[in-house]
Amino acid sequence: MNAADMLPASDTLWLALVVLGGSLAASLIFLGVLLGRLRETERRLDEKESRHETVLDRLQENEFRLRTIIESEPECVKLQAEDGTVLEINPAGLRLVDANQPADIIGRKIFSVVAPEYFDIYRENMRRVFAGEAVVYEFRAITLKNRVAWMETHAAPLRDARGNIYALLGITRDITEHKQAEEQARRHQTELARVARLSTMGEMATGIAHELNQPLSAIANFSRGCIRRLRSGGMSPQELIVPLEEVCEQAERAGDILRHVRDFVRKREPRLKSLDVNQIVRAVVKFTEHEARHQCTHVRLNLDPLLPKVAADAIMIEQVIVNLVRNAIEAMTEVTPSRREIVIQTRLFESDSVEVEVADTGPGIEGGLIDQVFDQFFTTKPEGVGMGLAISRSIIESHGGKIRAESSRDGGAILRFTLKISAQQSHRRERADSIHS
Amino acid sequence: MNEPTVFIVDDDQAVARSLRWLIESVRLRVENFGSAQAFIDGYDAARPGCLVLDVRMPGMSGLELQERLAAQRIHIPIIFITGHGDVQMAVRAVQAGAFDFVEKPFNDQDLLDRIQRAITRDAEWRDRDLQQARLRALFATLTPRETEVLELVVEGLSNKAVANALGLSAKTVEVHRAKVMEKMHARSLSDLVKMAMQRQG
Repeated sequence: MNAADMLPASDTLWLALVVLGGSLAASLIFLGVLLGRLRETERRLDEKESRHETVLDRLQENEFRLRTIIESEPECVKLQAEDGTVLEINPAGLRLVDANQPADIIGRKIFSVVAPEYFDIYRENMRRVFAGEAVVYEFRAITLKNRVAWMETHAAPLRDARGNIYALLGITRDITEHKQAEEQARRHQTELARVARLSTMGEMATGIAHELNQPLSAIANFSRGCIRRLRSGGMSPQELIVPLEEVCEQAERAGDILRHVRDFVRKREPRLKSLDVNQIVRAVVKFTEHEARHQCTHVRLNLDPLLPKVAADAIMIEQVIVNLVRNAIEAMTEVTPSRREIVIQTRLFESDSVEVEVADTGPGIEGGLIDQVFDQFFTTKPEGVGMGLAISRSIIESHGGKIRAESSRDGGAILRFTLKISAQQSHRRERADSIHS
Repeated sequence: MNEPTVFIVDDDQAVARSLRWLIESVRLRVENFGSAQAFIDGYDAARPGCLVLDVRMPGMSGLELQERLAAQRIHIPIIFITGHGDVQMAVRAVQAGAFDFVEKPFNDQDLLDRIQRAITRDAEWRDRDLQQARLRALFATLTPRETEVLELVVEGLSNKAVANALGLSAKTVEVHRAKVMEKMHARSLSDLVKMAMQRQG
């Protein structure tokens, strides 16, 4: 059989073979390409995956590192949810709250270790943190083993990638020792004040003796003078009236001294309440109004309306302000009536106190006498006994405040005293400040 | 003007008035001063009497007033009135020449007695001062020669010994001596000796 004869049949076969072979080759090439692509993708995927793994590794490493830092951190580090649930806490934190294992505290509310009287303060600070603030607060803690301790927490918000606050990060330390030292220092101060008061009482006794001697001597002299004249005769009863009136006056003077001493000695401990100083100032102005008007004295008020409340005994502080206002009124009797003015101001003082200032337009205080004005029986007034400012100082000091006197540049006297802001109030004020800022 | 006066210096007006009332009851003249300065300004040293002074006073104290008077050679007797616990101050005052002191509250008779004694003392002082002034005036009338003679005579020298010492005749000494006796108003030699001693004292 020759090839030509066989052509149609073999042709077809060849064609079929060629076609088949061609398509096979093409397919193979295509496959090869595909495989290549696949390998490329695979390689890329591998690469990506390994990169991914590196990132994950790094993340894990980072977390591990952070965890190590937090775990070995000597101070309590904890995360809390908005409702106070403890999410995480480090070993130092466990020790701080006397927990044996994490389960003792994690998942529980932080309030299980906060003294009830500090619940409000604690909640308020948590609220501030979840509002985005960083805060520092102190509280009394009662640990899981009922140990009482003072704690200080520095707390800040933790945010997720979208910036939402999801936890409170708190670092807490035990400040019990510090608090005790503070308390001891305070007790020491009180003791010092007591000793000072005792020696002041010694001085006062001498002062009283000297002061009472004056009217008593006068009474004795007037009476003896009368007796001598009566004995020697030739004295009309009318002539006795004047010296006897003097005797009465001096007896009253002695009585006044004793009354002041009694007021001074019957000093009770101040009953501190949270109160508005401005209100007391206004009350005092009201009941000294008559005296002021009688002396043509104008009283002007310049009171800070945003003043926080102070911890004070209302009656005592009233007495102090009355003393200062009366002193001011009396100091100005020599001044031209149109110039008699008392200005009472209140203001915040050194962030933890309120200052009350009573200024007059009188002759002021002689430079050398500034230190003496608060001494018992120091007076420049003919009718004065010199107890007002001494009592005022005693009251202000028993409140933990300070009282000072000075002469103003315009010549009048300025008396200032401070009172501590009450504890709840200082807290509220901080909040007000944070809102303003 | 020669009547003795009790000068009271006390810043406590009521006490000062009461002292005056008491002291006037024994018919003594009294004048009150409200401060040490007021006394310094108002007091005439020629006026006899005594000073009743409160130790404690604002401004110039009683002790300071005492110092000021001493510096001005004013020798009025001072009775200090001291309060309770001022005894040390009183002791200082007496050491500085105060006449006396009474402690408050005092017995009236006690104070009045001390005032009387102080007034007597003041009179004595003034009398002595007067005597001395008179003597100084008499001595001033003598000539230098008469003074020389006087000094030797009062030492107890005889006329003859004085004459020898001064190189004069006994007769001349006798004339000088008679002149001295006359000028000094001395009645005897012993009078003259007393006067010479007083002048020195």
